[in-house]
Amino acid sequence: MANRDYVPVTGDDWYERRRQDPEGEFFRKVADQGPRHGRGGSTRQGIYCLTADGKLLIYKNAGQNPEVMRETLKRGLVEWQKLPIERRRPGAVEVDEPGRVDERFQRQLPEGGLVINVYTRILDRLQDGGMCRGKCKAEGGEFAARDHLWLTAAEWQALIPASPKVGDQSSAPPRVAQRIVRFHLVDNTRGEPPFWKPHEDRSHELTLKVEEVTPQRIVLRLQGSALLSTDDDPAKSSRGFDVRLLGYIGYDRAKRALDRFDLVAVGDHWGNGPHTRLARPGRSPLGVAFELARGDSAAERVPPQAARDIRAYLGTNR
Amino acid sequence: MKLTKMCWPLLSGLLGLALVPALSAAEPIKAEQFAQIQALIKPDPAEGKWTQIPWQTSLWDARKLAAAAGKPILLWEMDGHPLGCT
Repeated sequence: MANRDYVPVTGDDWYERRRQDPEGEFFRKVADQGPRHGRGGSTRQGIYCLTADGKLLIYKNAGQNPEVMRETLKRGLVEWQKLPIERRRPGAVEVDEPGRVDERFQRQLPEGGLVINVYTRILDRLQDGGMCRGKCKAEGGEFAARDHLWLTAAEWQALIPASPKVGDQSSAPPRVAQRIVRFHLVDNTRGEPPFWKPHEDRSHELTLKVEEVTPQRIVLRLQGSALLSTDDDPAKSSRGFDVRLLGYIGYDRAKRALDRFDLVAVGDHWGNGPHTRLARPGRSPLGVAFELARGDSAAERVPPQAARDIRAYLGTNR
Repeated sequence: MKLTKMCWPLLSGLLGLALVPALSAAEPIKAEQFAQIQALIKPDPAEGKWTQIPWQTSLWDARKLAAAAGKPILLWEMDGHPLGCT
């Protein structure tokens, strides 16, 4: 139904409700027709069915319930059908160019940059010490959460040694390591996660080791660990992640491009964030997997969650 | 928000099937465990059904398409982008 009867569009309310430009003004005009007026700058998130000229047909905060979503779409179509045919026919509404764009709330992958898909999932330990997918009481908390890691051209190029020899070892570029650790080793399985503040990154070590060198390819192993903790003493901290990492980076020498960025991180996570309540009690296994984005889908163009503070994310605020 | 909840009904018995040999937080991840751990964490195809919808990511572009096609717009607006936050 979303595909056949509607033009489906998604957005991050954090940007849309703030932007001071025609798109933001249009969104707020639509949202103001519903129950969520965003008083005090608060959220306007939800499902909106609307017309191209900005009439709200129906609004619902469907949350996680597909049945509610389906019912909302049906009711939206009923409201649409009530409009005069002259208003519904193709071309009845003219939409001009949006004009100015509020650059403060635009996020673009830097030219030549890479998108790495990031998935996070709770895990469980088996009696024999092995691991399986985790169970929890939080609705939907068992499924893989998604985000994206951005690397600038200079950053991913800096991963590849100029004269690689098998066995050579070096530390991962600090900016890349810090970005992975602070902004992507997070528990986003139950909602928007808090990111680690610089001082909460108690220790991390990420090493690159050359595993394979041929005229065509270079393969690097990325290995390390991190200890993230809200308190200096992890035993006293309300939230933390004690995690090990292993991964492989492939470089195509002819294309001068990365063709592989596979990394996994597994460790014990504990604690809630303001929007990630209902964490499992105590320390429990959490896994994070990174994988080079292969396509150019709309989803892959979505900026990293932590890119709301783009300067902190890219490490350009120092 | 947690978008994968949208596809709960599409999931059945896929969870918990893949097992990975012993691993504790303090141990380094072994190379022979890598592929299994990666598969354990990554979403199954059924967890990504919603990604098959041809979502627009610009409300303005959606307005243009809707006006040209004579369709209403479905806007899924969340704190945390539905296509790539959580």
